Amino acid sequence: MSKLLIFLTLIPLLPILTTSFSPENPSSRRVLVLLDDLALKSSHSVFFNSLQSRGFDLDFKLADDPKIGLHRYGQYLYDALILFCPTTERFGGSIDLAAILDFVDSGHDLIIAADSNASDLIREIATESGVDFDEDPAALVIDHISYAVSNTEGDHTLIASDEYIKSDVILGSKKIEAPVLFQGIGHSLNPSNSLVLKVLSASPSAYSSNPKSKLSNPPSLTGSAISLVSIVQARNNARILISGSLSMFSNRFFRSEVQKAGSPTKHEKSGNEQFLTELSKWVFHERGHLKAMNVRHHKAGEADEPTIYRVNDDLEYSVEIYEWSGTSWEPYVADDVQVQFYMMSPYVLKNLSTDKKGSYFTAFKVPDVYGVFQFKVEYRRLGYTSLSLSKQIPVRPFKHNEYERFIPAAYPYYGAAFSMMTGFFIFTAVHLYSK
Amino acid sequence: MVKSTSKDAHALFHSLRSAYAATPTNLKIIDLYVVFSVFTALIQVVYMAIVGSFPFNSFLSGVLSCIGTAVLAVCLRIQVNKENKEFKDLPPERAFADFVLCNLVLHLVIMNFLG
Amino acid sequence: MAASETSNGTALRYAFGNVLSFFILLLIGVLAFSIRLFSVIKYESVIHEFDPYFNYRVTQYLTKNGIYDFWNWFDDRTWYPLGRVIGGTVYPGLTLTAGTLYWILNSLNIPLSVETVCVFTAPIFSAFASWATYLLTKEVKGAGAGLTAAVLLAMVPSYISRSVAGSYDNEAVAIFALIFTFFLYIKTLNTGSLFYATLNAIAYFYMVCSWGGYTFIINLIPMHVLLCIVTGRYSSRLYIAYAPLVVLGTLLASLVPVVGFNAVLTSEHFGSFLVFIIIHVMALVYYIKGILSPKMFKVAVTLVLSIGLVVCCAVIAVLVALVASSPTKGWSGRSLSLLDPTYASKYIPIIASVSEHQPPTWPSYFMDINVLAFLVPAGIIACFSPLSDASSFVVLYIVTSVYFSGVMVRLMLVLAPAACIMSGIALSASFDVFTRSIKFQLPGVKGNSQVDAGYTSSEGVVVQNEVAKTDKNEEALKERPSKKNRKKEKEHLEKPSVKAQVKKRLLVLPFEASIIAILLLILLGAFYVVHSVWAAAEAYSAPSIVLTSYSHDGLHVFDDFREAYSWLSHNTEVDDKVASWWDYGYQTTAMANRTVIVDNNTWNNTHIATVGTAMSSPEKAAWEIFDSLDVKYVLVVFGGLVGYPSDDINKFLWMVRIGGGVFPHIKEPDYLRDGQYRIDSQATPTMLNCLMYKLSYYRFVETDGKAFDRVRRTEIGKKHFKLTHFEEVFTTHHWMVRIYKLKPQKNRIRGKAKKSRSKPSSTTSTKRSETQRKNPWH
Repeated sequence: MSKLLIFLTLIPLLPILTTSFSPENPSSRRVLVLLDDLALKSSHSVFFNSLQSRGFDLDFKLADDPKIGLHRYGQYLYDALILFCPTTERFGGSIDLAAILDFVDSGHDLIIAADSNASDLIREIATESGVDFDEDPAALVIDHISYAVSNTEGDHTLIASDEYIKSDVILGSKKIEAPVLFQGIGHSLNPSNSLVLKVLSASPSAYSSNPKSKLSNPPSLTGSAISLVSIVQARNNARILISGSLSMFSNRFFRSEVQKAGSPTKHEKSGNEQFLTELSKWVFHERGHLKAMNVRHHKAGEADEPTIYRVNDDLEYSVEIYEWSGTSWEPYVADDVQVQFYMMSPYVLKNLSTDKKGSYFTAFKVPDVYGVFQFKVEYRRLGYTSLSLSKQIPVRPFKHNEYERFIPAAYPYYGAAFSMMTGFFIFTAVHLYSK
Repeated sequence: MVKSTSKDAHALFHSLRSAYAATPTNLKIIDLYVVFSVFTALIQVVYMAIVGSFPFNSFLSGVLSCIGTAVLAVCLRIQVNKENKEFKDLPPERAFADFVLCNLVLHLVIMNFLG
Repeated sequence: MAASETSNGTALRYAFGNVLSFFILLLIGVLAFSIRLFSVIKYESVIHEFDPYFNYRVTQYLTKNGIYDFWNWFDDRTWYPLGRVIGGTVYPGLTLTAGTLYWILNSLNIPLSVETVCVFTAPIFSAFASWATYLLTKEVKGAGAGLTAAVLLAMVPSYISRSVAGSYDNEAVAIFALIFTFFLYIKTLNTGSLFYATLNAIAYFYMVCSWGGYTFIINLIPMHVLLCIVTGRYSSRLYIAYAPLVVLGTLLASLVPVVGFNAVLTSEHFGSFLVFIIIHVMALVYYIKGILSPKMFKVAVTLVLSIGLVVCCAVIAVLVALVASSPTKGWSGRSLSLLDPTYASKYIPIIASVSEHQPPTWPSYFMDINVLAFLVPAGIIACFSPLSDASSFVVLYIVTSVYFSGVMVRLMLVLAPAACIMSGIALSASFDVFTRSIKFQLPGVKGNSQVDAGYTSSEGVVVQNEVAKTDKNEEALKERPSKKNRKKEKEHLEKPSVKAQVKKRLLVLPFEASIIAILLLILLGAFYVVHSVWAAAEAYSAPSIVLTSYSHDGLHVFDDFREAYSWLSHNTEVDDKVASWWDYGYQTTAMANRTVIVDNNTWNNTHIATVGTAMSSPEKAAWEIFDSLDVKYVLVVFGGLVGYPSDDINKFLWMVRIGGGVFPHIKEPDYLRDGQYRIDSQATPTMLNCLMYKLSYYRFVETDGKAFDRVRRTEIGKKHFKLTHFEEVFTTHHWMVRIYKLKPQKNRIRGKAKKSRSKPSSTTSTKRSETQRKNPWH
């Protein structure tokens, strides 16, 4: 329902074109970055610069800055939030857990990077988003097989993973060649949670535990159940990126060369930059954001939208669907958009055909059932924002004068009735004159 | 036994005929009218049995118009029959006027229901 | 009339009597109208209860959009998402009547609102009904009895209960139509005129338009015809009264969309067709008997009988096969419950759940027809001396209606006119006897005695006065009844004065006894009047959407229903769907103009069962059901705070039953502790967790700290709980109506980290919601 509302609000705002965030321009623009330490600003500058170069306006603040706030006078000041502050126990200013959740629930995006020793607060935010970090605060993801070969570290907590989610929408169409370096805590997802997706998962040989202590009992998180980086698309299409590692965003990881253990190829540069840049594009709605507009339906051969249909009417239905490319709305092309003519259950279910210019259309006959129907388009595809359109339309039965009038089978009856009538007149005449 | 019954029946038939011959002409006309409408009704019922009851309203109005006409004619016959003592007070003109009114209502309804 | 035969003086007196009875009828009309205005005076001019709101809404639509749109009206605001074809499922008589009244008034430049017209339709038609009663009883037993019966009907409590101003329901016009149809039938039977037969069919058409109770007519009249035939009272007048009625009536009935082909296809109507065939056979037999000699006729009978028997068997077999082939044996549920009182409670909880479909209790007889109950047997006796076609019809009417009223409270309404007619006959006959006795004891006054006897002002005395004239009118009228009485009557007419009086002297009672008896009868009448006025003023005038109560600190008015409906209409979207138990469906659509899921037209049992199931399910399951129906708001009626007994908790078991009838996972025993329905701490967990309980008692403990339910007279079982899928959006002043909104689906799905972690967050969130929550208790 809320999705529908968003789209309903989308439509009237169409003519307004502004550079600031508006439904017309779904990409986030103003981003608040909360840091533990301002040094991160330079140590992670490559990531930040790529954002800035794409037109984002980054506002760096210390997490415990007493003056920070997400909204003022009922208006949100930012369109997105980046939490690079894994150790913060309390935010400054008016920000707290509830404020961040409200921020997300009102349709804004969020990037969280945790790390070993992540604070309860950060864990709690992640939990509320549907991601459970390993509860052992000292635990790290360890992989003795697919670790990244390096000179210094020997505890195999620096992982090179290339188990990405297979989705062009999320990670871009260009294949990420090099593995991604990861060092941090792992998390698990609830399999029944349909909103959250594993983008980068650990290899089957990974496990999560404290590398400094001996493994006494089996680790709670093992294998590919461990997610290293996850994304959440909330029902209102707000997007959240959760990573167990802050360092994977760092310049150091971006630039380091990488060789996966057991693999002969050595990549000049890790896949982190490409991976995270593409992912941030997705999170900030530069990709995979759909909008539907101009839902139209009318009787075949007519142009105006009726307030009510009659059973067995032929009707035409059309809708336009566009995708946001980061700079403009491009026609969305797919062959799997379906419309339902729905009353308790779909009476008609049809694939919409498209003209490749964003317009989708079909024609069908209203079923021989009256009631209050809905045109429903429920379009959910991996990585895309979900489209949920419904439009209510009643279908009435025949009017008393819309039934067939002269039925050939009934002619004898008509004849009888009329012969009775003429019979009556003749009889009247005869009766009156016979006296 | 059979013979006697058939004989009886024969006698009955005869006496019926002779009795009926005595009825006035205007009553005979009414009887003819009644027979005509009942016959029409029967034809329709047979037709319905063959073709099926699809335009049920048409069938109903067709048959009921015939039955209605017959019933009204019988009513008229009862009323204008001179031998019927019960309706001495009722002048035949009045009876006929009532009959016409009744028929008008009937056919109006039939027309409404036919299509 | 026989008046012309007698002397000049008596002619004058008859003329005077006619004028007098005309004025009395006028007064009766005024009485019938004004006794029903208590509700307007005590409350306001407002539509009452549930069904009238629907009728009101339909009338509004009719006056706004015209008759064709009304006929084809497909209403998408009820029974979402099925919708309802109003034009084809509603008895249009009442609506058309009120619509016509409205048009007439407006074309006369009397700008009354539709609501006003609707409010006053019932009282106007009860005046008509009492006049129709006069006509009917006059046909049966003469003008005196007619006037008495009319007075009685004008204020019979049973009828008042359905026709007070504002109770804009089908019965309001249907009772008039019923009595008038009966009158025309009797009139046709007495005169044998086709003209009246036509009128009769049209009156029957009006009745079919108005009320489903028309099946009573189409069964009662054939029964009477059959009775006449069996008792050897067949006459050609009977044929004229019956045969055209069946043909025309059936045709006209099938014109009404809601009846349609049912008029020929359901077995409620088969009886009339059977009798139609029988009467034709009888007509033929009588005709042949007339033209044949007796000997030949005997031969014919033996012949025909043997053939006829075979034919009859065949016909009956066909009929039985037809009836048996339909699933409910061709009878609809409501009619079946008439014949078998236990049928409804066994098979159709939705019919049994309506209080007016329950069998009545004995006190309700006394409440609704009062002293008439005692006068009815006397009236029946009076009808048997002498028994005419007309009086046998009335006797049959009372007998059947007594039976039917014993099955369903609602049909008490059909009994009431019969009881009035009977009592009118009884009263008039007894006054006749007593006044005649007095007259003979006082030979000097003779002529004037009747007039003197009764001119005081109370109604009871007016009644008596009318009765006094009966003996004359009676003779005039008895001219008509059937053959058997005919000779006797003629004798009477020939020697009107001396001999008859000598004969009558045998019936004379002692003077004192007559005086006392008359006084007692007047007392009885006075008691009836007092009771009726009390019933009209106190018992039946409450509009049930506005409630009042008296307590030590004065009058309390509970206007919660309208408060809630207007909240809905002002604070929700036009297309929002509101779910409530079906009782409140009509009011919600009419007053709040919001789409409802189910309403008082209980045509789709499954849909109602769905709502019942939702109400008896735990919160989450209920949320899913409601969400699948696009419901935005849920409305419950709760009487626990002010002690309003007919609230949803008291109706809840019906919801469980109806829901369980379709969805077997709802089981009634789960909601009962040892067979007892309770909501206190002994209640079952299923009960305490169902949606209805939660929505009714949510935050109830905040009112008095103990959560004491004043309807159930107990403390509730579970006092502190939170709602997860619903949020309270509105509660009326006295908590009688509570409206909840379905929370939208959660934006995010939470992970499953341990509780200890989530603790700080949950406390903050509750704190927030508490500060936001508005306390509706002021």
